[in-house]
Amino acid sequence: MGTIQFSSVCKTYHGGVLALENVDFTVGEGEFVALLGPSGCGKSTLLNLIAGFEKLSEGRMSFNGNPVTKPGPDRGVVFQEASLLPWLNVWENVVFGPKVQNIARDDYEPRAREILRVMGLEKFHEALPVQLSGGMRQRVGIARALVMQPKALLMDEPFGALDAQTRLSMQELLLDIWQTLKTTVLFVTHDIDEAILLADRVCVMTARPGRITRDIRIDIPRPRSIDTLTTGDFTTYKAMIMAEMRGLHAHH
Amino acid sequence: MTSSRTKRWLLAVVLPIAAVALWQAAGTDGSLAGGALPTPDRVWTAWITWAFGHAGPMTLSPYVGSWAGAVGHSAERVAKGFAVAILLGVPLGVLIGWSRIVSAMVDPSIQWLRPVPITAWLPISLAIFGIRDFGAIFLITIGAFYPIVINTTQGARDVEKNWIRAALMMGAQPLDILRRVVLPAALPSIFTGLRIGLGIGWTAVIVAEMVAVKSGLGYVLWDAYYVGRMDIVIADMVSIGLFGFISDWAIVRLELWALNWRRLQSFNQ
Repeated sequence: MGTIQFSSVCKTYHGGVLALENVDFTVGEGEFVALLGPSGCGKSTLLNLIAGFEKLSEGRMSFNGNPVTKPGPDRGVVFQEASLLPWLNVWENVVFGPKVQNIARDDYEPRAREILRVMGLEKFHEALPVQLSGGMRQRVGIARALVMQPKALLMDEPFGALDAQTRLSMQELLLDIWQTLKTTVLFVTHDIDEAILLADRVCVMTARPGRITRDIRIDIPRPRSIDTLTTGDFTTYKAMIMAEMRGLHAHH
Repeated sequence: MTSSRTKRWLLAVVLPIAAVALWQAAGTDGSLAGGALPTPDRVWTAWITWAFGHAGPMTLSPYVGSWAGAVGHSAERVAKGFAVAILLGVPLGVLIGWSRIVSAMVDPSIQWLRPVPITAWLPISLAIFGIRDFGAIFLITIGAFYPIVINTTQGARDVEKNWIRAALMMGAQPLDILRRVVLPAALPSIFTGLRIGLGIGWTAVIVAEMVAVKSGLGYVLWDAYYVGRMDIVIADMVSIGLFGFISDWAIVRLELWALNWRRLQSFNQ
């Protein structure tokens, strides 16, 4: 239902900058995959391609076996700084999708209410985005994607702008949600801990040109929580990934 | 809070009071500049008569109790011309800002016509509409149109890319994007255009009434000059300033109400 496939994908920007070179990469149904790499490695480009925001230059790409031509509610995107519409309050932001899709009110309203409750936003329906903290805003950003019942969540460094404490609680919240929903997730990050904690697979990327150099399966049992960060398994994976990234760095 | 507001008021009226006092003191026997200009007390008396006087059957002067009518005519023309300018300028500006094709097609023509001042449009306006209301409204529309369309275009062009991407991701169609994303995002710029446009509208109505119609504050201004009533000329000028100021204040109030989210934004940062 929510599979992502890239084969021999290249992306060149104006001026001939090669952002992605020959990327072959698959995300299976219900899988949580993290794309990990330094800035400029093309990890966000990869996400923008499958979201339908950008066109690929070469190769093929499909979502559920169908070619991707434009953005759509089957792929819920969570942006780095939430990118909520600032003139709409929390409730209006969350029901924007169902509303423009002309879904019946009786259909989406209970769902939106429930998601906002799970997100801890039930007291903030009337608040404008500017009145919320960064973490709260991103909760709204996730709620807005989930209310559309997407087949995949595409998350572009969603917690990158948050302070360490808030980031931990957001990671825990996402783990809880995902462990119940089990939707496919493509999660872009530059934070090694975050990638290991959340994902089933961590794909390590390198820059100039952007490529996936290693695809590591994280066999830490679920359900996971913040406590996972201090287990021996976690440390082993972290050492492995750090060595990989350092190796790539030395290679350059 | 209250005392600082009082202080602002006091500071604001210092200059006008000083100017009026100086003007009054400079005049002798109710006039100055060799009798060409009346002093403020004369202007005030003339204004009171113009505003509240009762014109009987034997009254010859047109400047008795006719102020409200003149103000009404001008304000109505400004409102009509301004409304047409909004109806044309805002949708067009949103389209120019949103679509590269519309921008490439329409923007050059607008930029080319824009330097033509409203006064240069007078002969054409007279030729088409004659001495009628339409001529004045036409000029006001032209004058107010440019700042509205240009500022709206600017606002629609500068919409944050991720707002549009987010809306597309949520299944919004092009018309939803225009109405629910581009238009509200451009609203701050649109209001800037409205304020400038309304100011030009007041300039245009005076110009038009001086030449193209036989009523309103602009007509009175020119007519009073011809019959040597400089007291009425000055009272008329002050009235124009007053109504320009009031209409600008109204737009600012409307803006504060419509852009509440933005006010909170600057407050929180």
